[in-house]
Amino acid sequence: MAGAARAAAAQRRVVRVLLVEDEEIHRVLARALLKSAVGGGGVEVDEAGNGAEAVRRVREGGAGAYDLIITDKQMPVMDGHEATRQIRGLGVTTPIVGLSSDCRQSDVNAFLEAGADDFTPKPLSKEKLNRILAKFNLA
Amino acid sequence: MRNLRLSSHSRRAALGDRGRRAHPDEVVAVGGYLDEQFCQVEDLQDDASPNFTEEVVTLFFKDSARLISNIEQALEKYPKDFSRWDAYMQQLKGSCSSIGASRMKSECMSFRDCCGQGNPEGCMRSFQKVKREHGALRQKLEAYFQLVRQAGPAGAATRPV
Repeated sequence: MAGAARAAAAQRRVVRVLLVEDEEIHRVLARALLKSAVGGGGVEVDEAGNGAEAVRRVREGGAGAYDLIITDKQMPVMDGHEATRQIRGLGVTTPIVGLSSDCRQSDVNAFLEAGADDFTPKPLSKEKLNRILAKFNLA
Repeated sequence: MRNLRLSSHSRRAALGDRGRRAHPDEVVAVGGYLDEQFCQVEDLQDDASPNFTEEVVTLFFKDSARLISNIEQALEKYPKDFSRWDAYMQQLKGSCSSIGASRMKSECMSFRDCCGQGNPEGCMRSFQKVKREHGALRQKLEAYFQLVRQAGPAGAATRPV
């Protein structure tokens, strides 16, 4: 029974998420929501404070470094749209979800045209996160 | 588990009660200062993070004070730079959304509308309202957390469903 439990635990996947957000309060909340949705031991959250740092992390980590990338739109140095474009330019197919407090159709389209797979308006919530995780089979 | 959530009565006392009967799910929204997002923040509090809500709120006021100062300076130094004003206010609005500060968020949106209309006087008036709501929210939440601390681990009640 103990062996089966260990095997089951080994098979339980850790979801690796790259959170790209310049505002600390949003990072703190998103991190807590991810841990709550996936389970503390089942998620690893890396954080980037702007789009340029996100691209660097993805480039250094390789194509399979992350299971999910959640990126804000408006950030210093490089915004979320450009970061998404550059990450896709690396040939990385990791699901990317755009996040913004502006949710006009033009904002949504801009993210999708840059190569994002989905968009969700801020604030991030348990329900929105569960939908995203289910959509990309990470739940 | 230390439960820092207040009973519905205590929440109404802390956040302002207009005397109406509130459905338990609406307790936090009484007075309109905070919406359901605040409950989401509270739901993230647990044994590992027993002061999570207060920490997030503290972070909000640190951020919002900085953003308000930025906007104040921008209004003075960059007259009619609606694009700049709007960008700063968008950040503040986003912060408000994160903790469910609905009244303050609403004033942020009014400011942004005035930016869109190219209405500097409207922006100035809206900004004064944003600052008033910010001050009022701070007072309300300080009172709320004071009640939470007074309630203590033994006296706290579970949040109504």
